[in-house]
Amino acid sequence: MSVAVVLLALLGSVWLLAVVEGWTTTGRLRLTAPLLSGVAHLGRESIVPRTPDRLFFEAAPVLLLVVAVLAAAVLPLAPTLVIADMATGALFVNAALAYVLVALIMAGWGPNGAYAMIGGWRFLGQLIAYAMLIVMPITGVAMRAESLVTTVIVNSQDSVWNIVYQPLGLVLFIIAAMALAFRAPFDLPVAGGELGGGVDAEYTGVRLAVLRLARLTLVVTLALATTVFYLGGWHGPLLPPWAWSLIKTLAVAVSMLLAGRYLPRIREADLMRWCWTLGIPLALLNIIVVGILVLVVP
Amino acid sequence: MTSAQPITTKGSRQKQPRFAVLQAWVSRALARDLSCLIIPGPEVALAYGLDVTAAGMCSSATPRDATVLLIIGELSEQMDEAAAVLYAQMPRPRTILMLGGKTPPSLPDADVSADLSQKALTDAVERLQGLLAEGAFATYPEDFDASVLHVKIEYVCPMHPDVVRDEPGSCPKCGMDLVAQEAGKATSGHDHEHHEHHEHHEQDSPQSHEHHHGQGHQHGQAHEQGHPQGHANHKTGTDYTCPMHPEVSQDEPGRCPECGMDLVPREAGEVTPGHNHERPGHGHNEPESPQDHTNNKTGTDYTCPMHPEVSQDEPGRCPECGMDLEPREGSENGASGNNHDHGEHNHSGHGHDEHSHAGHEHGGHSHGGHEHGGHSHGGHEHDHGASGFMSMIEVTKDLPRSADGLAMDWIEVPFGPVFPGLPGGLKLMLTLDGDGVIEGNATSLVGMTNGDNDTEEMNAEAFVERLALATPLAPVSYRLLACLAIERAAGLADNPGTGRASALERERIASHLGWLALLGRQLGFTWLTQRASALQLDLRCASQKRLAALEPALRTLTARLGRTPLLKARLKGIGRLPADTPGLRGPVALAAGDAWARLWQRLDEIRTSLDFIRTNGEPELPGLRITDQASGRGEATVDTPRGQARLSLTLQSGRVTSYRLDTACSHHIGLVAELVEGQELGDALVAVGSLDLSPWEVMS
Repeated sequence: MSVAVVLLALLGSVWLLAVVEGWTTTGRLRLTAPLLSGVAHLGRESIVPRTPDRLFFEAAPVLLLVVAVLAAAVLPLAPTLVIADMATGALFVNAALAYVLVALIMAGWGPNGAYAMIGGWRFLGQLIAYAMLIVMPITGVAMRAESLVTTVIVNSQDSVWNIVYQPLGLVLFIIAAMALAFRAPFDLPVAGGELGGGVDAEYTGVRLAVLRLARLTLVVTLALATTVFYLGGWHGPLLPPWAWSLIKTLAVAVSMLLAGRYLPRIREADLMRWCWTLGIPLALLNIIVVGILVLVVP
Repeated sequence: MTSAQPITTKGSRQKQPRFAVLQAWVSRALARDLSCLIIPGPEVALAYGLDVTAAGMCSSATPRDATVLLIIGELSEQMDEAAAVLYAQMPRPRTILMLGGKTPPSLPDADVSADLSQKALTDAVERLQGLLAEGAFATYPEDFDASVLHVKIEYVCPMHPDVVRDEPGSCPKCGMDLVAQEAGKATSGHDHEHHEHHEHHEQDSPQSHEHHHGQGHQHGQAHEQGHPQGHANHKTGTDYTCPMHPEVSQDEPGRCPECGMDLVPREAGEVTPGHNHERPGHGHNEPESPQDHTNNKTGTDYTCPMHPEVSQDEPGRCPECGMDLEPREGSENGASGNNHDHGEHNHSGHGHDEHSHAGHEHGGHSHGGHEHGGHSHGGHEHDHGASGFMSMIEVTKDLPRSADGLAMDWIEVPFGPVFPGLPGGLKLMLTLDGDGVIEGNATSLVGMTNGDNDTEEMNAEAFVERLALATPLAPVSYRLLACLAIERAAGLADNPGTGRASALERERIASHLGWLALLGRQLGFTWLTQRASALQLDLRCASQKRLAALEPALRTLTARLGRTPLLKARLKGIGRLPADTPGLRGPVALAAGDAWARLWQRLDEIRTSLDFIRTNGEPELPGLRITDQASGRGEATVDTPRGQARLSLTLQSGRVTSYRLDTACSHHIGLVAELVEGQELGDALVAVGSLDLSPWEVMS
């Protein structure tokens, strides 16, 4: 039951995100646009490029989708509305998301095209930049909750949300999450103006539909993770818990989507440098501050 | 209601009677989800005042994602070929929408044709939607074929160039395997312009053998098979010879003095190696001992790269770890990585690392096959990945190190002529080492030619029109330039009015906004693209009053760019040109320095131009004053948005008999090689973009 509900919530959020995305690019608010686009993709030819690595080419979009859904499986929408409330939930999110890299390398390698390949390798570099900034803020969150169970993490924010308790962690986590979801301005692997679509470049038809669905699902999953870790999860007045989770998730997801519109793409060298010379010290500082707070504040 | 003749689009997809209802439904969705690939490019659409979004389409960055090929104006021959390749890459159902001109010869007739105006575009999109809803799927879809998509493969003997066959086989003179090459390419090496291409409907073949042109693609077998000579080892006792002229021999890699082909390494003393490429167990080490070919079967055993104790006579898998066994000579037991075998693979995948070695030693990357070879290496290595052990260290150990100390395959990748981050018609060839650019150069596929003697005469009016039409990104400037030159040739005094100058300044603003939109596309800065495009559309024909009304919006745009995070970090230090670089003109000259300085130079010029128009009156399109049957020579210069352009022409009884045009972009395009060298790919593209090259204004 909760599986169906969570999947439905994910799908609904993705649909809403697609509507917002279409709205910003065309200036027209069309609620049916994502549906039409999906059906249209089914009607298009799904081309396989010359001499592909067939396995990688076929598996990559599916893997990306599976990864995004898997990570969402341990994130609760409400106290009982979670597919798997694992003892290592917060760690599992991180572990599942590591496969985003695998999917992108496969999508880059599979089609046997230069743009895609460079895009895939670029993401490998990007991982080196963002990976620590996903794990270290989660550490801060787990320290406060004294648990890796995601529902316990939400409950630990009963009185004060982590956005107040550890705002630095939130900022770092959101930046890293956007890099992980390769949304603008971190869209190096799919850069339109630099790689003509990069890892997306060779996918058409159904495969492209799956890839797009996967990319948006990934954004929703990361927004849900932000909600659970920093925005108090389902906590909120009046509305039922699941509604609060969804509202917060969508707000984060839409802001992630919109932020990219107003920023130029970051240089890969800058991303790497800032993440390591600035991001990691700040993340360490966050851990120290949280540690002190945990000890001092009862 | 069905008409007698069913409506179909030219690029329709196969109709499946079983799914007729479903397909009818999908057709309607397709018709309402239109994205278009604009040829030559979105900046040309903007310059003509076309807004595809307002017409109900999205603008797509790649052919893979487009349903509509939107062609604006007449295309040059090279652009026509590029358009054919792009069209072939689009997934069916696909359509062609032609604005203002005839459909280029390589493409099927346009599904919908219209004039070059926003209203005509909007109507055309509606018609196209109707057409797609009805005819996206057809019982008998038309095949698409264009000569540019074909490469005739012929088989020649590397040693006997006179032996040419249509089929693979062996040479009747020496028994060597014939090697495949593109027909007619024997003496010119390999050419990137050609493609091997077979297009089928998905029904005929699940693999549509399409590949990108101007979209970073390799093509396959012509090259893979074209370099069996890559088998030759170049490490020890090697000389270099021409595959076509065996008498050529030298110690260094280079080109054949006879035919210009890249020389290939040859084992000293090796004459007719007689490789049997089909034979399994054709290890990489074999050229070191050519005689092994004869005792391949008797002297070879198969061993596991990880477990040398494993040994058997047949290829197979290691009982210990399941890896594919590799051949080992009876006398040889070490160097396991060196003689790795690719199992049952054919010769096409075989020479790949030698091929890239050879390419590197050639150094110059004039090696035609590099883009292809380098990349098909990727695919092929992996195709065989399941059956062979490929050590990255082995593969790259002799390659030259790039600036970051990593050794990688170099690949030559085309960017353009239709590429989202570059102006349409500009083709950038970059040799990439990872994502670092080793070298690059830019060419224009839509440039003009100087008409000195051999062009037909034309009357002055027609000349003005022609020049304006040939430069869609700055038509007013060139119209003005032509008018001035002709009027001076006719001996008329310069027009004292300032209307023309105002029109030129208005075009400068519009042109710089167009550049900002392109910068936005290049940097994925969507807001900038949308804002600059909207302003450009509004402003390109605006009156003085309207321009005054738009001034606050332009100031806001400038202020926003100053505040945009990351923008300075993105542009600062990129595309730096020494101040004494010769041939600089316009904003590029005035803002000596980097891409960031050029951005602010252009933003400053927008402000200055606005001030100019405010004080100098209504913009007025330059029109030619009556010159009757005048004769003479005239010269004029105009400060176009991209820098000074100079035109000198000869007028004979009212007709232009010869002209000479000198533009800023002709000089600037030569800077590309210097700007991109050693840069990261993204930086290289930003550097090229910051020059604001208009390929239309490049003189060839």
